[in-house]
Amino acid sequence: MARTDDEAQASRHFERVISERQVVICVGSGGVGKTTSSAVIGLNAALSGRRVLVMTIDPARRLANSLGIEALGSEMQQIPLERFKELGLEPKGELWAMMLDMKDSFDRLVQRHAPDAKTRDAILDNRFYHYFSTSLAGTQEYAASERLHELVESGEFDLIVLDTPPTTHALDFLEAPERLVDAVSSRALQWLYKPGVLSGRSGMGIVSLGTNYVMRTLGKFTGGELLSDLGVFLKTFSSLFEGFEERARGVIDLLKSPATGFVVVTAPDSLTVEEALYFYEKLDRDALHVDAFIVNRVHPRWVSEEALALPPAELATALEAPPLPALDEALDASALAALLLENASQFELRASQDASSIALMGDRLPKTMPILQVPYFNRDIHSLAGLNQARTALFATSG
Amino acid sequence: MSSPDLYNRRFFLFSGKGGVGKTTLAAAFALSCARRGERTLLMELNVKGKISTLFGAGEVDHEIREVDDNLYAVNVTPAAAMREYALMILKIKLVYRAVFENRIVSSFLKVIPGLNELVMLGKAYYHVNETDEAGRPKWDKIIVDAPATGHGIFFLKIPSVITSLVKSGLMFEEARRILDLLQDPERTAINLVTLAEDMPVNETLELARVVREEMGVPIGVVLANAVYRPLFDEAQVAHLNEAHAALQAAADAGDKHAEAHPASGFLEAARFRNARVAMQQEYLDLLREKADAPMVEVPFYFHDRMSFATIDEIAEHLSRELPALANPAEDAADRSSSSAG
Repeated sequence: MARTDDEAQASRHFERVISERQVVICVGSGGVGKTTSSAVIGLNAALSGRRVLVMTIDPARRLANSLGIEALGSEMQQIPLERFKELGLEPKGELWAMMLDMKDSFDRLVQRHAPDAKTRDAILDNRFYHYFSTSLAGTQEYAASERLHELVESGEFDLIVLDTPPTTHALDFLEAPERLVDAVSSRALQWLYKPGVLSGRSGMGIVSLGTNYVMRTLGKFTGGELLSDLGVFLKTFSSLFEGFEERARGVIDLLKSPATGFVVVTAPDSLTVEEALYFYEKLDRDALHVDAFIVNRVHPRWVSEEALALPPAELATALEAPPLPALDEALDASALAALLLENASQFELRASQDASSIALMGDRLPKTMPILQVPYFNRDIHSLAGLNQARTALFATSG
Repeated sequence: MSSPDLYNRRFFLFSGKGGVGKTTLAAAFALSCARRGERTLLMELNVKGKISTLFGAGEVDHEIREVDDNLYAVNVTPAAAMREYALMILKIKLVYRAVFENRIVSSFLKVIPGLNELVMLGKAYYHVNETDEAGRPKWDKIIVDAPATGHGIFFLKIPSVITSLVKSGLMFEEARRILDLLQDPERTAINLVTLAEDMPVNETLELARVVREEMGVPIGVVLANAVYRPLFDEAQVAHLNEAHAALQAAADAGDKHAEAHPASGFLEAARFRNARVAMQQEYLDLLREKADAPMVEVPFYFHDRMSFATIDEIAEHLSRELPALANPAEDAADRSSSSAG
């Protein structure tokens, strides 16, 4: 697809901004190609000489295979970039990748911060721990942001690209640390395992109803043993929270620092675009740096308005004009022309829908915001050539 | 593989990866039920109400409202479901407030694993059993637009998680009842929505396995959404490829006219469609081969935008396709062993 000057300029701008970031976080709804975009951003930086890590939460098996590795695991793996030489590229840096296993990340958290071995084992063996670490809203995001923080601190990489869970709320990732701290806040906890609260002796009074009444009612709900077991678990777990808030603060500082940029990834349909704009507003309100919008799978405009208005007979004639091969006996030129017109007008409809939602995005975003379009390719994106095609669509480089 | 007519069941869950059109198909299926004259309730869970947009109705929130003839919709949030549920048990608003709106209790409720999901499922369960004054079921069909997979698997596992964690209390009893409903092939079906593409298909196959083996929830159909109808036959596809190659070769050889050939863009667009169709067919074959459940294709409709017209067309399509699945029952015994206790 021919690139307009504006598009080329947006690409150059994007590449320049990314080259100055140490962390790039891709956000967006599910199924918009976020993982592939993260890989392509990482790939481009690695080709140009940086040492890059891409962290994803998606098993993305075919992406892994197309990059020449069997599967992504929670251990970092180096991606062999030599294969890109087949495409005439000169890889200068290093690309590493890992899949962020949420449960695994949370286990690490416990291992790192438990005050002693006994507490550590008590937590890891607790029957609630598994559900708690995998299902409480925000635990996943919390674990991911902790891991990110840890890796940034280690200074091993020039750039870390993070592909976030497809959240309905872009900022779950940012709010998770605070929410988690809040949900298990020491105040509620202290209250819960205050001696006597669960055994029914009167605790601190609550307006008009005794604490033990409140707890009994709650106990009716959850089953008594759940409440007391959960209390024990939370009490043990709370020993981890020494410094939790402080670290959460550290993560938030990192996310807000100029070292970190966000990229909003979207599909071109209007519902997804609305969601993407909503993400942007929230990010912007929190004073986070949004570097670009990436719109994947944009239908190209193959056929011009004039061509679509061609009388079918004229297109039928054109189908036999050199250098096109002659039609076989069995094929009817006018039938084929009619089908070609039908198909082209159907895809013109899709292309115009895509174009109008992208125009809408442009209207609602600052003029300087790069909006980068990746066309819907004919080929499988999960191939070396496909990834490189996406790379040249996003970045101004063609080498 | 037996596949009784879906329209004979009452309780339906729609699950699938984000962005595959799960909400659209749940809404279309609900509309097809309503059109059969059945009183239908469509439940969205804790999302920004897409259903309102689809039916051009006002904002659908936690109050049930009619969006079309016989078709009612509601958007269930955990907070509203919790409140209803707690009030049902406590009977007294003041007590509810004192207990559940107590700051400490609410921060505590947040950390009970799966409680939110349980109360939302509990609300669906309640409507399945709801009766009118005459004691007849109030709803003929209850359709739940479940959260996207990943989270969706967790969502459906909640009742069994809870029954394994606790052995008494209202939460346990509720979970037990919901589990019985979920595993009942007479009343319940989960429909898996997917696209004929790599990642959604892999995820769907995995989901089908988990649903069948670990949860024992009966699968109704796999719905492959947005499938392009093949326009060109084999001979035409071959000719178009040949024509495209000839044009490419001429352009590469420096023929200035080849670029501007009037058929050029048409050939590109046709090749794009043919490539998509071929790819989709491969994934449809994979689904047919491995999903171990009947599959229904839902065509892609070229429309100005996702609107009621589209939902309408899909509803028509489903009401033709789904009963056709109800083939004479084969030996169902080979599948009865899969129900998880």
